[in-house]
Amino acid sequence: MQQLAAPFITLGIGSLLAGALVSLWVKNARPVAITAALAAFVSFWLSAREVAVAGVARLFDPLLHWFEADALDAAPMAFFAALTLLVLILAPKRDAGSRAVSGMLLLSAATQTAYGAANLAVLAVGWWLTSLPFVLRMFGTDRSQRLSQGFLIVSAVALTTCIMLLHHVEIDELSHAGKLAFGMLILAVVLRKGVFPFHGWILSAFEHGPLLPTVLLFNGHLGALLIARSEAAALPEAAKHALDLLSIAALVTALITSIRSFAETRPRRMLGLLCVSQASFILAGIATANAEGITGALVHWLVVTAASTGLVCIVRVLEVRVSGSSDPAEHLGLAAKAPRLATFFLVCGFALIGLPGTLGYCAEDLLFHGALENHPWLGLALPFATAFNAINLMRLFSILFLGVLPKHVIGIPDALPRERWPLAACMVFLIAGGLFPSAVIHWRAEAAHEIEASFGVHAAQE
Amino acid sequence: MSLEKLSLALIATPGVLFLMLSLVWLLGGDIPERAMSRLTKGAYVFLTLVVSVIYWKMWQTDMHSIRVSLGDWFSVSHYHFPLTILLDRLSLPIVGITIILAGIVGAFSVRYLHRDPGFHRFFLLLHLFTFGALLVFMADSLDLLLAGWEIVGITSVLLISFFQYRPDPVRNALRVFGIYRVADLFMLLAVFLAHHWFKTASWNGMFSGEWPGHVNNLDGPAATVVAVLLVFAASGKSAQGPFCGWLVRAMEGPTPSSAVFYGAISIHAGAYLLLRIEPLLHYSKIATGLVIFIGLTTAVLGTLVHRTCADAKTSLAYASQTQLGLIFAEIGLGWTTFAIIHLISHAVLRTLQFLRSPSMLRDYNRVHAAAGGQIDPTGEHYESLLPKHVQVALYRIALGRGFYDAVVDRFIVMLAVRLAQLLAVFEPRFVSKPAPQPPVAEPVRSPAH
Repeated sequence: MQQLAAPFITLGIGSLLAGALVSLWVKNARPVAITAALAAFVSFWLSAREVAVAGVARLFDPLLHWFEADALDAAPMAFFAALTLLVLILAPKRDAGSRAVSGMLLLSAATQTAYGAANLAVLAVGWWLTSLPFVLRMFGTDRSQRLSQGFLIVSAVALTTCIMLLHHVEIDELSHAGKLAFGMLILAVVLRKGVFPFHGWILSAFEHGPLLPTVLLFNGHLGALLIARSEAAALPEAAKHALDLLSIAALVTALITSIRSFAETRPRRMLGLLCVSQASFILAGIATANAEGITGALVHWLVVTAASTGLVCIVRVLEVRVSGSSDPAEHLGLAAKAPRLATFFLVCGFALIGLPGTLGYCAEDLLFHGALENHPWLGLALPFATAFNAINLMRLFSILFLGVLPKHVIGIPDALPRERWPLAACMVFLIAGGLFPSAVIHWRAEAAHEIEASFGVHAAQE
Repeated sequence: MSLEKLSLALIATPGVLFLMLSLVWLLGGDIPERAMSRLTKGAYVFLTLVVSVIYWKMWQTDMHSIRVSLGDWFSVSHYHFPLTILLDRLSLPIVGITIILAGIVGAFSVRYLHRDPGFHRFFLLLHLFTFGALLVFMADSLDLLLAGWEIVGITSVLLISFFQYRPDPVRNALRVFGIYRVADLFMLLAVFLAHHWFKTASWNGMFSGEWPGHVNNLDGPAATVVAVLLVFAASGKSAQGPFCGWLVRAMEGPTPSSAVFYGAISIHAGAYLLLRIEPLLHYSKIATGLVIFIGLTTAVLGTLVHRTCADAKTSLAYASQTQLGLIFAEIGLGWTTFAIIHLISHAVLRTLQFLRSPSMLRDYNRVHAAAGGQIDPTGEHYESLLPKHVQVALYRIALGRGFYDAVVDRFIVMLAVRLAQLLAVFEPRFVSKPAPQPPVAEPVRSPAH
């Protein structure tokens, strides 16, 4: 059993948990939280580096053996840690109270637990824990958050049921219990990812919930992780057909949510629909079972994570600045006062919808080829969804940044240094990744190869 | 310096300039107008010199094309995205005219936009546009062309909404973007289907030999599908056929951007694409017929509407559309050389007209005075040959601009919105509850009320 040189995963998760605990007791929690997130980022980055050097190996944590880092999860772990850091730095003062900051760290620790899990049971623990900060109402007591809490809990119950059944039956058999176990796994993914027709809870979370923790929750992409892990577990033929159906459901989700957005005028809901639609590409890509689609999906995973976090953070800082218009439907004309935020928004948005010059373009190029290869007709849904999402992104941009500046928003500042640098880092990743995509693709190629191999595609070709 | 390096310098210069200037501005730097103006002028003078040297060397050595391969941009398994640029007898004249006209427009804009709050934004977008346009004209594959195609589209939209504090430019930019995206869908589908069916989207793979004598390699119904999709994509970029409505909306941008986009370069990208895929176009009778039909119908509609327009830029927009329609028809009929001459001369003339449009009344008065106070009206002779009721019907169609917007609004936009509203049934009712708004203070009323 190969091990990491140091217990990086334990250290990373431990620092997040310690940060969460300490944040609850100090008056100014943000510096503590940033320090904890930074320590976690360094730990996860070191583990990702070690995995990259080791190649194909699964490296177990030397302290707690139920954590491991491999080609699939090492990069998202480092990436998610960076994301947590970014959100904590960017969070407006009113979102950076002790409980909220502690909740975000707890959420991050839970997601990292799921990523670093060496078996399904630990993954389920992480899955459950991600709903904990919401159930404990660490981000506010709004009753409208109950819908999302309900969905999170039901998905966790489904996953737990699946794991309990798997203890008793072999999934290969596809007996009734086996089918039920597999059904529960698919249900957990569908609910968690907000696959159509269960996308409503994510919209509710975006609309009524706390935006920054919601984006952390959303960008865990635990549903996609579970599917990638299930594929790597070499599923039987019938189960693979079910995954094929899941891929179709994801394509349908991408298309329907992109169309649904045409009837929306409220920024938070538009943003939610945009994110759900683009994130559905990940699931669709992973289930394509070919190298282009899977690699595209894994790269798109990073793009969606970085770009949607950037967009959500910008919307949130604007909401805080423009008091009295927390969810405006009319034009705000903010580009005149905040041109840099407008530019950051555009770049993140263009990356999300895959415009050239950004990493999103390369990811979607691979995804489209993969989807077309797998479902020649349904694959066409992806370009349509992208085109509609692009139109909706511009609608959202025009609502927030174009038009006549209302009288009550005359004196707002542009991006503060605290906001400028993290957003610039996000933008550099998206653009540099777009100009030199081979490095990022290479980073994810090994994981894609493993998932593809689990389908036996190579064997069939050879 | 070798021709390959010069070709790379040609395409990289505006891109690097855009990236550098953007980064400086985003990180809080301030670039004075004078510096921006000098950088722009210097860059376009340099580019003009480079393209002249390339012309000269190619002419001296009787070289037909330069192909520069930079390897694969990225590759996964059997799929590769080749980064290859091509300068041949088709692309070189258009690249030359792009650089010269963009340079002229840049120089013009220094004074035109002096002290405008969007001065820097305009020049950043101009550099990005030049990069995108050069990518379109120098791409050696549909994949790379698509990248430039989308960059040109997005810069176009951002310049239409240049005067962002007015509602009309914002609304029109959004509509233009929507039409662009729908048209670009055809391009996207063509690229992916070309890969799917023929395993290639490079000019080398699709055609054998060098332009203008290249031969089509694709065959079967799949080739017709790809050709038809590309015809629609080209129509979208050149405001032809079903996409003819956006050009007039695009006139909301500043005059220099109208000149460079809708007079000079961007609008001709569709015609360039058709010229590039000419053998494929002529392989399919459906595609050929479609190009001629789209071109001629748009030309007729354009010339009708043009005569009823009351303002200079709208009138020029429809005039451009008419000429592009004719160029499309010429390409469909196989008059390649004529189409290229028409394209280049139209680009030059239209740029001049757009740049002079703010001074149109002054120009008219000068010509009027020079002609001794009497200028004969033109353009009314042909109409008078038609019966009166036909003239009235045509006039109504022209005034309604072919009723294009009404049809699109009623049968496409409304349907899409209705469908989107219907899809709300999949979201629980309480999800759609509007977010609680903070209380807004009641206005203080006078005791009299």
